[in-house]
Amino acid sequence: MKIKITVDGKEMKVDSNKSILEICRENGIKIPTLCYHKSLFPEARCRICLVEMNRKLVTACSTKPQENANILTTSERIIKARKMNLELMSPNIKINELANDFEAKEIYDQIGLDTDRFVSIKDYHPDLGAAIVRDNNKCINCGKCIAVCAKIQEIYAIDFASRAHNEHVTPYEEKKLEEVACIKCGQCLINCPVGAIQERSHLNEVLQALNNPKKHVIAQTAPSIRATLGELFDMPPGTLVMGKMVSALKKVGFDKVFDVDLGADMTIMEESAELLKRIKSGKNLPMITTCCPGWILMMEYFYHNLVPNMSTCKSPHEMSGMLIKTYYAEKAKINPKDIVVVSIMPCTAKKYESTRKELHTGVDYVLTTRELGRLIKQKNIDFVNLKDEEFDPVLGLASGAGDIFGTAGGVMEAALRTAYETSTKNKLKKVEFKNLRSGKGIKEGMIILKGKKIKYACANGGANIRKLLKNKDKYHFIEMMACPGGCVGGGGQPIYFDEKVLQARGKALYEQDRKREFRRSHENPIVKAIYKKYLGQPLSKRAEKLLHTKYSIKDKF
Amino acid sequence: MQILRQTNLEALKLAMNIGPEKTLKILEEKSLVGRGGANFPLAKKWKLAMNSKNKSKEIFLICNADEGEPGTFKDKFILKNNPETLIEGILIASYVLKTKRAFIYLRNEYDYLREELEKKIETILKNSGMKNKVSIEIVRGAGAYICGEETAIMQSIMGYRGQAMYKPPYPTDEGLWGKPTVLNNVETLTCVPQALLYDDWNPNMRLFSLSGDIDNPGVYEWELGVKMATILDTIKPRKERKAMSFGCFGGIMPLNKDSTINTETICKEDCQHGAFSIIFIGKERNIVDICLSIAKFYAYESCGKCTPCREGTIRILNLLKKIRDEKANESDLVLLKDMAQHIKETSLCGLGQSSTNHILTALQHFKGDFEKYLIKENRIDSTNNKPQKQVKNEN
Repeated sequence: MKIKITVDGKEMKVDSNKSILEICRENGIKIPTLCYHKSLFPEARCRICLVEMNRKLVTACSTKPQENANILTTSERIIKARKMNLELMSPNIKINELANDFEAKEIYDQIGLDTDRFVSIKDYHPDLGAAIVRDNNKCINCGKCIAVCAKIQEIYAIDFASRAHNEHVTPYEEKKLEEVACIKCGQCLINCPVGAIQERSHLNEVLQALNNPKKHVIAQTAPSIRATLGELFDMPPGTLVMGKMVSALKKVGFDKVFDVDLGADMTIMEESAELLKRIKSGKNLPMITTCCPGWILMMEYFYHNLVPNMSTCKSPHEMSGMLIKTYYAEKAKINPKDIVVVSIMPCTAKKYESTRKELHTGVDYVLTTRELGRLIKQKNIDFVNLKDEEFDPVLGLASGAGDIFGTAGGVMEAALRTAYETSTKNKLKKVEFKNLRSGKGIKEGMIILKGKKIKYACANGGANIRKLLKNKDKYHFIEMMACPGGCVGGGGQPIYFDEKVLQARGKALYEQDRKREFRRSHENPIVKAIYKKYLGQPLSKRAEKLLHTKYSIKDKF
Repeated sequence: MQILRQTNLEALKLAMNIGPEKTLKILEEKSLVGRGGANFPLAKKWKLAMNSKNKSKEIFLICNADEGEPGTFKDKFILKNNPETLIEGILIASYVLKTKRAFIYLRNEYDYLREELEKKIETILKNSGMKNKVSIEIVRGAGAYICGEETAIMQSIMGYRGQAMYKPPYPTDEGLWGKPTVLNNVETLTCVPQALLYDDWNPNMRLFSLSGDIDNPGVYEWELGVKMATILDTIKPRKERKAMSFGCFGGIMPLNKDSTINTETICKEDCQHGAFSIIFIGKERNIVDICLSIAKFYAYESCGKCTPCREGTIRILNLLKKIRDEKANESDLVLLKDMAQHIKETSLCGLGQSSTNHILTALQHFKGDFEKYLIKENRIDSTNNKPQKQVKNEN
């Protein structure tokens, strides 16, 4: 139903089912808010989005306008009330210390704080995990992390405890995040407006390794970083910065810069061979991908019966990390003990993954995209004007199939390209699978391999994973990504506020794929060389030993 | 007392004979309004739920027996002395609303009444022949004050954190499990069969819970518009009293023997009567002390959901402590008033919005009590015109 309202003296006709906040945003009127999330139910906790409707103060996010309502968005009364609320909730926050990329920065700058009016009453111990660090002293109780964890990821790792001024975010029974069923996806971190949740930084360790002349320090970058790193240097979302990134990493001081896309190609070789083997025997279907460490944790906590269905492949950066310490070390005649492998990942769960003992991990440290941005800024490198450079040879050339690993549906697309062509010996007419590029939470399709109908499906985001698993038996091959949008929306990526950013990042990766000379993993000459000289063939004994792993189950409590 | 009149299932029979529509009409004619404090007409509330646009036609009924307001104990009085009529009221409501599940949300501290109540429910359900049509479940609260608020009650019954939700959607449209829900308190539902059955039923009779600096506290029944003098005569005061507080949330107003007690006179003093629980405050007491203990209550009982109430109530308490410790100056008093007004205006639910009524009304009526504690020297420093006044005094 359309009704007439007045906003700041301007008459407009609006949909009465929309909240004042939505109406104002559509009409270009900015209203600050800290607890509002576009795809979640508004909780109206923070009380920053206050506006005046018919002389009454109401929260814009939760209020629908009345007929003929007179709405003010910037009156003195509103500004005073917003400021009081901001000061009340954040006595521990100092504006100049707030990182620029957090959502709240603009709001704090706009409203301003008189920090001496209220003193902090919070006294919590920070929760230091292997992947995620939480500091409740900085928390403003907006509740976004909890809502995202529960409603978008359906993990329910954290909730509010206690009441009144003692209310705080905590895992079950005041435990640490490490001790509860948390999948370390970092979506809470992405949605925290003030940075009370952060990744566990490995920057110091990496700097130490870089300064040690005895160490041969190698950086390897995940597929999605090249489409997102630019955002940290004010470039528009979806700018491809592969060349600049390599150049920056070399300037920072890494001895060699390799591409995890190659690891992705290796994953595809192993995974597609495994898929064909399972289809032939008909056992342990559907096969489920294991590139995403968040999903692996989710399986280990919540889906114990799925262990046999999981592909045994390690994640791409663990594969290439292993190859660096074996194949590359042998070739370059360097003692593997002197090699330090640093993965630049879009992911906080990878930090946890690199501490797993069962992987015999080749990766020493994991930096997130944001940490890399920090490192480049610390070294005073003018990133935007850098000249493009190429990855180092040996493990630096990848196919387009590896590039699209960074976006949801990409692993499936890459695997299908190779599985189809290696099994049928025919070339695909179209290497691009349009149904896997739709941007939906759950995607599915069908392909014919050797006369058999193979059904496949992809899910991204915890809630979609749970939904898809309810009828998993329909499918033969499933791709799972714990973060909405896949790795481009990962917990280690630059903070984003709009889903359009995710789409732009994904598109950039597809563009990178189009530019490649080789678009199928099995065409990659380096992959061919590695198999010829070192591993033999996919699923060979050596490949099993280096590139495959086992899974354990974990108790939820 | 009118509230203690038994109806012995006669009212239920009457309602069943005349049908839901006529029952509603009688209740409307008798002008039965909710006893929770908002004076919302009962028939109107029921009709809202019955005509709700919600797709589900199932209506839940909740009897609010979470009587958490300090100084209020009239629901306990009813639950102890006339539970039969209350249960009959629930049955009539269930009949009119076609409710299959009704809940009694019992205050944690009233758990000792539960066994007796369950037995009564069992026998009355059997005797009325409604056993297969409606179930009455007793849900025990966990002791949070906020769970007396209608949206928080529903969250609590559904098993979530007892926190308030904003309205709209109102419970009559989307309540328990997203379905229309009617919430009435114990006193209101007890009045339903009495109003139906007795022609001489008086809609203006109210239960008063009296406590504080008096010798015989308890539950009393008077008609609205009763003279303060009548109340004071009944409770036979020995000492002088200067003020009264309506529970914790209603505000503090000076006690005037000639005044009458009804909604208008109380609202005129910027107070809210709520469920007419009056705490008398003796002459020897200091209002700052009273405010301090009320502020302590709110700083503990705020649910923690919205910023102004969560962070504001504790700061109000700290400011009052500062004033009480004679460390505050005039600017602190200004901040106190600003914050009290701010919390009242911007909080999410009724708890937050009324959590500073006592401060605002106390500052209005008893400002001298606060000013006594302020630091004198700072007073001169902080305001520019004070030194000039001193000069004038010398002249």
